[in-house]
Amino acid sequence: MLPSLLASMPMDNDWISFDVPSLIENFWSATFDGLTFGSIYALVALGYTLVYGVLNLINFAHSEVFIMGCFGVWFTLSALNFGPSAPHLGFWAIVGNLILALVVGMIVSALTAVIVERVAYRPLRRRNAPRLAFLITAIGVSFSIQYLLYLWRGPSPERALTMFHPTPIFDVFGTIIDSQQIVIVVAAVIMMIVIDLFISRSRTGRGIRAVAQDPDTATLMGVNKERIIMTTFIIGGILAGAAALFYTMKIPSGVQYNGGFILGIKAFAAAVLGGIGNVRGALVGGLLLGLIGNYGQILLGNSQWTDVVAFLVLVLVLILRPQGVLGSSLGRSKA
Amino acid sequence: MTLLELNNVSVHYGRIQAIKDMSFTVEEGEIVSLIGANGAGKTTTMKTISGLLNPSSGSIRFAGEDITKMKAHIRVVQGISQAPEGRGIFPGMTVMENLDMGAYGRKDRSGMAADIDRVFDLFPRLLERQKQLGGTMSGGEQQMLAIGRALMSNPKLLLLDEPSMGLAPQFIRQIFKIITEINSQGTTVLLVEQNANQALARAHRAFVLETGEITHSGTGKELLANPAIKEAYLGVG
Repeated sequence: MLPSLLASMPMDNDWISFDVPSLIENFWSATFDGLTFGSIYALVALGYTLVYGVLNLINFAHSEVFIMGCFGVWFTLSALNFGPSAPHLGFWAIVGNLILALVVGMIVSALTAVIVERVAYRPLRRRNAPRLAFLITAIGVSFSIQYLLYLWRGPSPERALTMFHPTPIFDVFGTIIDSQQIVIVVAAVIMMIVIDLFISRSRTGRGIRAVAQDPDTATLMGVNKERIIMTTFIIGGILAGAAALFYTMKIPSGVQYNGGFILGIKAFAAAVLGGIGNVRGALVGGLLLGLIGNYGQILLGNSQWTDVVAFLVLVLVLILRPQGVLGSSLGRSKA
Repeated sequence: MTLLELNNVSVHYGRIQAIKDMSFTVEEGEIVSLIGANGAGKTTTMKTISGLLNPSSGSIRFAGEDITKMKAHIRVVQGISQAPEGRGIFPGMTVMENLDMGAYGRKDRSGMAADIDRVFDLFPRLLERQKQLGGTMSGGEQQMLAIGRALMSNPKLLLLDEPSMGLAPQFIRQIFKIITEINSQGTTVLLVEQNANQALARAHRAFVLETGEITHSGTGKELLANPAIKEAYLGVG
C-alpha cells in the first residue's frame, strides 16, 4: 500500500516540470477553452468593476450574487426536467428552456445585488461610514449568504445538470470548437458590447460615468445618485446571472453553497488585471486570465497549476502596470 | 419678488458649526455677492442652497416654496443650478458631454437646443472645443464650461462658487463681464468670491461673511466704499 502510494506521488525533484510539447499540441484547444472560461470571468468581473467605479467599493458579496444566480438557474432547469443527462428535446425547446433559465438567473442575481446594497451598503453611506466599514461589511455579507445557502442546501453540490451535448461546429488547426464554447463566448461578448454602448451612449450611462467621476457635481447636474447606484448593482447582477447560466453549462456540478468564492476571486482579479473601473478592461482581464490559466495548466501538467500561474501573472502585470492593462476609469468617454 | 430666502439657517459639520443663524434674501433679477475669507462659510452656504448639505436648523424658501428638505437633484429641476467651487468639470467627458450633463434632468429638446445656442453665444470658445476632453482644457476654459454647463438646466437662480479662482486677471474680467451679461438676460445670480473688487463692483447687493455670520450688508457700491471692508478685503488701507 505505502510503496504504491509513494510511487504515485511526484518525487522531490520533479514536482514541477514543463511539458512544452503538450502545450504546443494542445495550444488551440487550451485557447478556446480559456476564452470560454475567460468570458465567464469577464461577465462577473463587470459587476466588481461597475460598483467599484461608482462607490470605490470592492463588493465582495458579488461572488454570492453570482452563486445565487446559479441556484436560480439550477432550480429552473430542474423544474424543467433537466438532469445529469441532457433531455431529449428539439433545438428550439432547448433554446427556450435555456433562455428561461437565463432570465431567472438574471432576476435572482439582480435581486440579490439590490438587497445587499439596500440592507448592507446604503445604511453605511447614510452615516458616512469609513471605507473599512464598507469592506468588512462586504466580507460579512459574502459569508452570511454563503452559510445561509449551506444551511438551506447542505455542503454537497447540487445534482449535475447537462443542458445539451456540445456538438462540434468548427475545426480550427485540427482542434474542434464545439457549440457550447461558441454559445458562451458569443453571448458573453454580445452582452459586454451592449453594456459598453449603454454606458458610453445612454443618458443613464452618462449618469453612471458622472457619479463615478464626481458624485457631488453629478448631483448638482440633477443626477439622482442613489438611483444610479441601484442601477449599477442591478446591471452587475444581471451580468452575474448570465454568467451563472454559462458557468453551470460549463461546470454541471458547480452549483454549491461556496461555489461562487473562487470564481468571484478570479473575476475580481480579472477586473484588476484589466483595470478596475474600466468596462473594456473587465473583458480583456477576464479573457487574459482564462487563457493564462489554461496555458499554465497544460504546460505544468496539473490543473492545480491553473490558479498559481494565473495569479503569478496577475502580480507580474500589476508590478509593471499598477493601473491594469487598460487603466482604470469608468469616467472616460470610451468607458 | 423674492426668489431665494434663508431664515436663520445653521449648518454643522459634525460638532463644528460652519454657518450660524444666517438670514438673507435674493430678489429676482439681482446679482448678489457673498464675500469673505477662506473658511468664512461661503462654500458651505452655497452647498446648503443647492442641497448638498442639510441645515441643522432654519429654513430655505425658493420661489415661494419651502425647499429645506428637498433633495439636491430635484432642486436643479426646480431652477437652482450651481457651478461648484473648483469647477467640477468631468475630466473624462468631452465639452459637449459636460454640457449635456447640465441638462440631465430635462426632457424638452427644443428648450435644450435653445440653451446650447445661448451657451455657445456667451462662450464661443466652447463651440470650438466641443469634442475636447474637459480635463485637457485650461483653467479659464474650464470655468467657462462650468458656467455654461450650469446654464444648461435653464436655471432661475445661478449659484457661482468662486468663478475667478486660479484665473489670470484678463480672464477674471472676462468672466465677470459674462456674468453681468447672463444676469441681463434674466437669470438671477448669487456669487461667492474672495476677489471682492470685481464681485462688489458687479453686484446689486452684497454681504460680507465672517466665521459663518453675515457682518456687513449693503449695495455693492456701499460696501466698496466702506473703509473696514476696503482694508480687510480690497487690499487697500
